[in-house]
Amino acid sequence: MMGRMTSRRPLPRSVDVLIVGGGATGAGLLRDLARRGLGAILVDKGDLASGTSGRYHGLLHSGARYIARDPQAARECMVENGVLRRIAPACIEDTGGVYVATPDDPDDYVDAFPARCAAVGIPCVEEPLEALFQREPALNRRIRRGYRIPDASLEPWQLVEANLRDAAERGSQALPYHQVVGMERSGSFVSSVSIADVRSGTVERIAPRIIVSATGAWAGRLAGLAGIDLAMSPSKGTMLVYNQRMTDTVISRCKMPGDGDIMVPVHTVAILGTTDIPVDDPDNYEATPAEIEALIDEGEKLFPDLRRMRILRAYAGVRPLYAAAEVHGATSAGRADREISRAHAVIDHERRDGVTNFVSIVGGKLTTYRLMAEQTADVVCAKLGINQPCTTADEVLPGQGDPRGYYWLGDRLAASEATGGGDAGLICECELVTRPMLEAFLAERMPCSLDDVRRSTRLGMGPCQGAFCTFRAAGVLAALDDGLERAADEPEAGVEDPLVAFLRERYRGTRPIAWGRQLQELWLAAGIYQGVLGVDALVAAEATVGDGPG
Amino acid sequence: MARADVAVVGAGLAGLTAAIRLAAGGARVHVLATGHAATHWAPGGIDLGALPGAASSQASIDRLAGIDGHPYAFLAGEVPAALAWLRATMGSAGLDLVGDAADPLRAIPTSIGATRLAAVLPDGMAAALPAWAPDETLVICGPAGFRDFWPAAIAANLRREASWRGQSRPERIEAIAVELPGIAGRHNLSGLDLARLFDEPAWRATALDAMARAIEGRVHGPGRIALPAVLGLDDHPAVLAAARARLPFAPFEVALVPPSLPGLRLFAALRSELRRHGGRLQVGEAVRGTIGADGRVAELRATAAAREFVLTAGSVVLATGGIAGGGIVADRPGSLTETVLGLPVDGPEPGHWLLNDPFDPAGQPLESAGVRTDSRLRPVAPGKPGAPLAGNVRIAGSLLAGQRYLRDRCGDGVAIASGSLAARELAGRPPVASQGSVAAIAGGVG
Repeated sequence: MMGRMTSRRPLPRSVDVLIVGGGATGAGLLRDLARRGLGAILVDKGDLASGTSGRYHGLLHSGARYIARDPQAARECMVENGVLRRIAPACIEDTGGVYVATPDDPDDYVDAFPARCAAVGIPCVEEPLEALFQREPALNRRIRRGYRIPDASLEPWQLVEANLRDAAERGSQALPYHQVVGMERSGSFVSSVSIADVRSGTVERIAPRIIVSATGAWAGRLAGLAGIDLAMSPSKGTMLVYNQRMTDTVISRCKMPGDGDIMVPVHTVAILGTTDIPVDDPDNYEATPAEIEALIDEGEKLFPDLRRMRILRAYAGVRPLYAAAEVHGATSAGRADREISRAHAVIDHERRDGVTNFVSIVGGKLTTYRLMAEQTADVVCAKLGINQPCTTADEVLPGQGDPRGYYWLGDRLAASEATGGGDAGLICECELVTRPMLEAFLAERMPCSLDDVRRSTRLGMGPCQGAFCTFRAAGVLAALDDGLERAADEPEAGVEDPLVAFLRERYRGTRPIAWGRQLQELWLAAGIYQGVLGVDALVAAEATVGDGPG
Repeated sequence: MARADVAVVGAGLAGLTAAIRLAAGGARVHVLATGHAATHWAPGGIDLGALPGAASSQASIDRLAGIDGHPYAFLAGEVPAALAWLRATMGSAGLDLVGDAADPLRAIPTSIGATRLAAVLPDGMAAALPAWAPDETLVICGPAGFRDFWPAAIAANLRREASWRGQSRPERIEAIAVELPGIAGRHNLSGLDLARLFDEPAWRATALDAMARAIEGRVHGPGRIALPAVLGLDDHPAVLAAARARLPFAPFEVALVPPSLPGLRLFAALRSELRRHGGRLQVGEAVRGTIGADGRVAELRATAAAREFVLTAGSVVLATGGIAGGGIVADRPGSLTETVLGLPVDGPEPGHWLLNDPFDPAGQPLESAGVRTDSRLRPVAPGKPGAPLAGNVRIAGSLLAGQRYLRDRCGDGVAIASGSLAARELAGRPPVASQGSVAAIAGGVG
């Protein structure tokens, strides 16, 4: 199909650049290289933007969070903040941000805040408390000062899709569910890369001229396949999703970054972040009860009624921190993760390890994804002798003029009413996802999981956390599948039932915060799926098919 | 201020069973409920117990009765009479119940194309029960575009042998979506909307005709037809009769996501039975009460928007449900509270409420949370069975500790058995306490 962002075709034998990792950085790099005329493909072992990019708090940084410890990162954030507002307006809700001084925040930090912002180019204006409390009445009345800075809310999935679409328009495609399983070295050169189709199990070998690892927290693992030792320091951040926007502005604490000190309004919800805990395995992390308690305890200093507000789910992401400690010969033992720079590093393994065609991009954050991609593309182009300027900061991403872009729920309702009103085929009532929206997504992305659908449409992200829509979406998926004349007699080997997989994923986020109304909601969902629908029979059926790479 | 011999809190199967049986015996009964109960989302059958590998509901009941702390340990003997009573009550409303506790448990299709085990079903669902003959075709037939019943998805899942839990299954499964008259493109219709359409004789004749022609054109030979459970609300028996007369094979309804039409019919039948016996039903407010120094509950308070409603009662049946029904809440992690009287809740240790996998066959430990009682359904503190906390209170239904209604599918059996026992316990008791000002009011109740 024309214009598909993802490919169902076999892998090309040779390609200029193979990008591993389908988060924002990898997608941005695919776009950047495509615009410079380089053929590239992108692979990800899971769905696009399903790793760290899709598991962050939704903040478009002004950089104010880093002014004290990491002025360089702060400056980069502010510049990229301006770039993204220009090239991706439909992915941003311009909420603005306020840094507030609670009684717990140190005077010296509060007093130095405006000057530190000025030093790195962040516009900062003190907001009178009366005006602040009028705008944000849920805030703690003991807050004694507030500074407005240009933070905003940034939608990661739409951003990644827009980058991929721009690349696809220039012939570069992304392949989700394709995992690099091996690399072959010929001396100082990676001569071939083995890539497994996770869903079919088939493995193909390709010979790219350059391999770029945009795998974030997984970069150490991929480098290992090329025989390169690269020590990452992945750090877990846990976040809580609240059922309401108790603030329309991003609210942060005027202090050194810590747990539970930022609330970001995102679409219909608000997200409290974050924790910062070193993890050994970037694939194995859960939000723990102790973290959740710590987050709420701190969050109450911003919003005193927080404990009475309903939490929809908890989730965690893994920061791709690169300690660079090895450079200084230090170890990472006993490190405090917030002391590791949020700045990024493009690692040319030719200079570092003598491997000529392997590059890693590590560290960084979503706000600076484009800059990271640009700097990585510069290194790649230099290696290939290409002399083309980067255009990603100047050209607006595709789809940004679409009035449905950064929608409010009200926009979806209006669009739905304009095209049939109450008969539009609402699949997800919480987030107003209609059947035509779902079918349009599936036409482009099938085969895919319901979780992939969620990231693109917000299906199942509302208060019921999928209790009603999961079942309906599975029906739409099956109806389309039927049309594709796929043998429907038996499921594909090793593929988790899409409905079961989605319910498991939603449960994973609800379980850590299962009290109050959300526990009752969980019980209602269990009553529907186990009591009414007997979904345990599908789980049993799946078990008989065999354990797959899930 | 209102007065009743018995106040029943909760309008689910347990509360209504107790209320009707008390009212039928001559008591003045007042039912208070915060909202509608599990009847509105239950699958529509009467689940008495369905353990994997058990031959029948009765075998499941017997096994559960042997588990220390399970409500069936003292309620199992109540089930046959309670079911007979429910069967008669439903039957008089034209809603026959088919099947019995001793019948084999069957895997009946669900609206996602899985199956669940059942033995006692309303007449409209009962054609799913008999074992499948080798040459039978199962036709999954629903309105085109109806978002709560996807024939292709249901058929795809039902074609997998494992979906049938090791039981007999039809040789062929066909999915047929039919455009029904006047609703083309109306994709937001709920099951309730469709049921109301089926209640109209002219519409249902055309709709059944369209379905019959679509099926006749595709399927030959013996078969049965699975339809979404939308065959009427108020006039269900007539709709069912018309469907049987017009469709080429025996139809059966398949329960949908809430609201459940079979559950709504059940609720409507029980409500009218309660009213027939003079009982009152009041839904919509949170109910609170306190246990007095004399170990009794004298009155209940329901907080409405503009005023407080006070109900003085001689005795109380608490049938507020478990966590799903709102009878038990967890205000914060690890803490369980009974909402009306603040009774102690027996449940798993904090931190051990939920398993990693939501589909673990062991079932969620938190399911067993509830209020402990003695064998007369009087609430007791966990571990102190000999000291009832409130002499004029009885606990019924999902609020009872020790059951796993989702895992063991015993919720309806526990509900009707405990509702019946609570009614027998409280029948003929003096209307109110014999002391203080409350007694003076009671004198007028007589």
